[in-house]
Amino acid sequence: MAATFFGEVVKAPCRAGTEDEEEEEEEEGRRETPEDREVRQQLARKREVRLLRRQTKTSLEVSLLEKYPCSKFIIAIGNNAVAFLSSFVMNSGVWEEVGCAKLWNEWCRTADTTHLSSTEAFCGFYHLKSNPSVFGSCPRKNMQITILTCRHVTDYKTLESTGSLPSPFLKALKTQNFKDPACCPLLEQPNIVHDLPAAVLSYCQVWKIPAILYLCYTDVMKLDLITVEAFKPILSTRSLKGLVKNIPQSTEILKKLMTTNEIQSNIYT
Amino acid sequence: MDVCTFEKVGIRGTNIVVLGVEKKSVAKLQDERTVRKICALDDHVCMAFAGLTADARVVINRARVECQSHKLTVEDPVTVEYITRFIATLKQKYTQSNGRRPFGISALIVGFDDDGIPRLYQTDPSGTYHAWKANAIGRSAKTVREFLEKNYTEDAIASDNEAIKLAIKALLEVVQSGGKNIELAIRRRNQPLKMFSAKEVELYVTEIEKEKEEAEKKKSKKSV
Repeated sequence: MAATFFGEVVKAPCRAGTEDEEEEEEEEGRRETPEDREVRQQLARKREVRLLRRQTKTSLEVSLLEKYPCSKFIIAIGNNAVAFLSSFVMNSGVWEEVGCAKLWNEWCRTADTTHLSSTEAFCGFYHLKSNPSVFGSCPRKNMQITILTCRHVTDYKTLESTGSLPSPFLKALKTQNFKDPACCPLLEQPNIVHDLPAAVLSYCQVWKIPAILYLCYTDVMKLDLITVEAFKPILSTRSLKGLVKNIPQSTEILKKLMTTNEIQSNIYT
Repeated sequence: MDVCTFEKVGIRGTNIVVLGVEKKSVAKLQDERTVRKICALDDHVCMAFAGLTADARVVINRARVECQSHKLTVEDPVTVEYITRFIATLKQKYTQSNGRRPFGISALIVGFDDDGIPRLYQTDPSGTYHAWKANAIGRSAKTVREFLEKNYTEDAIASDNEAIKLAIKALLEVVQSGGKNIELAIRRRNQPLKMFSAKEVELYVTEIEKEKEEAEKKKSKKSV
C-alpha cells in the first residue's frame, strides 16, 4: 500500500507476480482492458535510445566505442560530477563533441519523438583533440574507465553518527582488473551503489575492463561548490593526471557555473 | 541543520558582541530589506539563525513575545541566558511531541546582560544550548570554527575593531564573493544594535586585505 500526496491510499503494483484469488476478485474493476494493453504496447514501441554523430546528426550505425576506441573513458553522472568534469577536465585542452545519446520514453515532456533538439540530449560524448588516446585510437583492451557520481549522505550506512561525518566525502569502488590505487578510501560494506554507475561498473567487472567509481557522499544534491571541490583529489590519480592543466582557472570557471545556475530559494537562510 | 545554509559568525569581545552573516544573493525583483538574517529579540538581545526561514520566523515571534512578557511581569529585561533557555526549551518540546517535527534552525543569540557582561549562545534543533566565546553556524561551520580556534586570542578581541575584523576574516574564509556578501551587526555595552552598511563593511575588508599584504611582504623579506 502506498500513500499519495493527497492522502488517499492506493495499492502499489505487486512485483511478486501471482496474487491471491480473493484479491483478484476484488480487483475486477481495475483489470487491464485490451485498450490499455494496446496503448501500453504503442508506448513501448516509441521508446528509443539513439546515438547521433555531432556534425551530421545522423545515427551512428556501429557502437560509439568501436568507432572511436579509447584508452580512457570518463563518465560523470549527476550535476555535481558533470560540473567537476566540465570545469576541471574539459576546460584544459580542446575537447570535441563527437556525438550524443538521446532517449525518449513516456516520461519525457515532449511528445515529438523524431525531432529532439540538442538541449534534450541525455548524454554527450567528447574526445580530446590533442590526445586521441583519450577516447582515441588505442585498442579497447587497454581501456580504463572512471565513473564519477554523487549520492546523498543519508544513504551512507555507518556506525558513526551522521553528524560527525565530514560531508562531503569521497569513496571509491573498483573492478578486479583495476590495479592502480584509489585516491580515497574504498566503499565499505554494507553500502551499495545504485542505478547507472552500478550498471557500468557491473558491465566492466563482467567484461574484465579496469574501472573505478568515485562516489561523493554529500548533503546537498543540487549543484554546489563544496561538493564539486570534493572531487579534487581525483585530479592526482593516473586516470586524470595530465588532463588537467590550469586549476586556478578551472576554479574560476566553476564559480561562474555556480552563479549562472544558482536557484533562488527562500526556504533556507 | 547545515544543509544549504549560509554562514553566520558570532564573536564575544570584551566590550562588544559581533554577529556577521553571509548575504545570499537576492533575486532581481525581490525587495532586499525583507530578507533579514539578523533579528532583534529585544533592545539588548539579537539573534542570527541558519536553516528554514519559516521556522525561524515562528521562533523569533515567540521569543519576542516572551521578552516583553518577562519585562512586564518581572519589570526587568530578559537575560540572554533566559531567552536562550526559552528558545531551547521550545525547540526541545517539538522533538518530543507527536505529529510535530523539530524546528529546522540553529541560532546564535548575542547580547549584554544588565551586569554589562557580553554573552553569546548557540542553540540547535535538538534543543541544546551552550555558551561560546566565538562560534559559527551554517554549511561550512567546521571550517570557520577551525579558523576561529586558531585566531581567537585575548589580543584579537581586546579592542572592538579587532573583534569586528576577526568576524569578517572568519567569514571571508568561506564566503565566495568577498566583502559585498557580508552583513554585520554589532552591539557595544549600553548602546543599541548597529547594522553596518555595505560601505562600512567594505572599509574593514580593505583594511584586512592591506594587513594581509603587509604580513606577506614581511614574510618574504624574512625568507630572503
